Amino acid sequence: MSTVAIPAAAAPLRALASTDHKRVALGAGAVAFAFFIAGGVLALLMRTQLAADGGVVSQANYNQLFTMHGSTMVYLFVVPVALAVGLYFVPLQVGAAEIAGPRVALAGLWLLVLGGLSMWSGFLTSGGAAAASWWGFDPLSDSLHSPGSGMELWIFGVMLATAGQILWAGCIILTALRRRAPGMTLMRMPVFSWTMVATCLLVLFSFPALILALALLWTQRHFGGVLTGGLGAVDYQQLFWFYGHPAVYVMFFPFVGMVGEVLATFSSKRFFGYRAFIFALLAFAGLSMTVWAHHMFTMGQVTNKYFALTSTILIVPAGIEYFDLVATVWRGRLRFTTAFLFALAFVVQFLIGGLTGVILASPPLDYGLNMSYFVVAHFHYTIFAGSAFGLFAGIYYWFPKLTGAMLRERLGKLQFALMIIGTNLTFFPMFVLGANGMTRRIATYPKSTGWQGLNVLETAGSFVIALSVLVFLANVVVSLRSRIPAGEDPWEAQTLEWATSSPPPRYNFDALPPVRSYAPLLDLREQLASDTAVGSPLNSFNKGTP
Amino acid sequence: MGVEVRDTLASMPDTLHAYDHVRGIYFPIAIGVFALVVGTLLVLVVLGARRRRADAARSEAPRVELAYAIVLGLVVAFLLVVTFRAESPIDRAVADPRLRIEVTAAQWSWRFSYPNGATVDAVSTWHPPRAYVPTGVEVEFFGSSRDVIHGFWVPQLHFQRQFLPGFTTRFDLRFDKPGRYGGECSVFCGEQHSEMHFAIEAVSPERFERWLDAHAPKVSMQGAKTSARKASVTR
Repeated sequence: MSTVAIPAAAAPLRALASTDHKRVALGAGAVAFAFFIAGGVLALLMRTQLAADGGVVSQANYNQLFTMHGSTMVYLFVVPVALAVGLYFVPLQVGAAEIAGPRVALAGLWLLVLGGLSMWSGFLTSGGAAAASWWGFDPLSDSLHSPGSGMELWIFGVMLATAGQILWAGCIILTALRRRAPGMTLMRMPVFSWTMVATCLLVLFSFPALILALALLWTQRHFGGVLTGGLGAVDYQQLFWFYGHPAVYVMFFPFVGMVGEVLATFSSKRFFGYRAFIFALLAFAGLSMTVWAHHMFTMGQVTNKYFALTSTILIVPAGIEYFDLVATVWRGRLRFTTAFLFALAFVVQFLIGGLTGVILASPPLDYGLNMSYFVVAHFHYTIFAGSAFGLFAGIYYWFPKLTGAMLRERLGKLQFALMIIGTNLTFFPMFVLGANGMTRRIATYPKSTGWQGLNVLETAGSFVIALSVLVFLANVVVSLRSRIPAGEDPWEAQTLEWATSSPPPRYNFDALPPVRSYAPLLDLREQLASDTAVGSPLNSFNKGTP
Repeated sequence: MGVEVRDTLASMPDTLHAYDHVRGIYFPIAIGVFALVVGTLLVLVVLGARRRRADAARSEAPRVELAYAIVLGLVVAFLLVVTFRAESPIDRAVADPRLRIEVTAAQWSWRFSYPNGATVDAVSTWHPPRAYVPTGVEVEFFGSSRDVIHGFWVPQLHFQRQFLPGFTTRFDLRFDKPGRYGGECSVFCGEQHSEMHFAIEAVSPERFERWLDAHAPKVSMQGAKTSARKASVTR
């Protein structure tokens, strides 16, 4: 209370200056979601161009569109939004009053905003925004082949946003490791918090490689001599994918965690195979640091068989995680909320992305499919049909906690139906087109290719996705305008964030229930039920603490 | 130069068959796993929708999961054996290729250079001129780039390789079926990446011989090589 008072009128300023992890996280989530919309608009422009058989944008502008679409979605939406959910819920799930390093977390938000503005301001320069793809591969990205300030702004933007993500990862992992409530051992930490720990480990170990790669690229652009010739091109890719492949799992683990919590809650039973899941998760995280060069199979400069080996072994931890997700539903009492539907769709659709990933991990198949729309379909099934569905499962699940108001279920199910249809219409035909030889990153394909029909279908699908996002935004507005109060725990959930008010107070908890497992609120309910059965309902809350 | 079909070479695995072989194993397994998981999930969801109370007696099954992990490990081993056996012949360069073609990529063109100095240039076009190859024999390619990374992709052969500046990328391809093989740059390489196409026409060795002779530069073999190189530098 003794700090300098900020005028009440300066609400946006306050949103950018609060060190409450919940406000930082909401700010980060809002910024990331705004970039999701912006990146989505770029995708719609591209899809319109492809359906209209050209004439909407020039090839040069199209190159900016897909560069900024990919960059925005990866650097400014999926990774930041995953970490934002962690910023909000890891402290709550582990029963902490405050995040570790609140000012550092706030700095991460500023870095995200600055990075995003830097990247997007490229559109205002005379040469346009960066147009060297979201990889920014040298030598295409050097000063000879990509002159102009759009590329410079892209480099600085990506560096800033990535630096912010590293700061967030530090805050989240320290909170999980050092600020857990009494009784919450590591093996009692909720599933989502564990996936965030694995995520943050990957961020801390791999994201600096991206900053290094971009620093080298910037040096090469201005002074030369660091990334020279073919060797420089290989070096840049080694560093880039050393970031880029773990980053893929940064865009996966948190959403698996959200889906795990949602499946357990709406199956009314605890998460199945918790210990196996955590063990598989950590093995997964470790292995995922060893697979990066499967993006380089067709370069002929890496040991393909080694990277095929490590990439294919990922089947084992991924298979165990899938077993646990499916087994969580086994013998449950299911409640078909919107969140639960999104979680089920995640399991099914991500599987398509995962299985095609196994296919692409085989070099003889990758030689035929790399850089084609098959790959585009593959990673959109993981990141959009998978992670974005996981995110919406998380949003429908946690929105009542964030705001104290429930989201409308009917609008939610409408959004879900539209999104399922739109997603599969958009991305499934890409598998076919890619296997038929359709290359990525091309603005116009001649009629003689015979691809126009499926392209039009995909474009129609992309507009259905856009409609589903509009339904979601309408749902948020309606739900906040005429509120259905949520209470502390509208779902009969299992973890500590549901043991406080919605939204939680500044320091999160007034009192904490005892923590005897990774599902403390479920423990309490079970205890209550058994106590009621033997006729002693009164002393149930704290009975039998060991 | 003489090009002849040799039966021993014809029995060697090529990229097309390697791809088809591996795909024939991977894709059915992937579809089977997908059907299994989705089917299981569907059954559990239908049963769970009717249940009044969760049956929470069991929340883990470590032995089942361990056995399952071993099964997964065996699947991994099987897939890797299939992959490695198919990949080795593709990655290995043959000892005695019957023809060497140098392919030079640049923003935004392809140049095919033949040993006798003949060249075929495909410059920023969706309708490239055809570079001829003989059917049924291993053709050796020496690929390189003059500027950024380019991707040499022949979809009908299910094969691609990246060409890097300052490196020579070496690989063999075999064209069994006569006819036109479209090719394109698969690695995004700048503004006119989309226009960067090439075409390969596979014909019988006899016809190939005639085509090659007809396209030889009208100078001696020695002179042809230098003039071809000079042309590629000044272009």
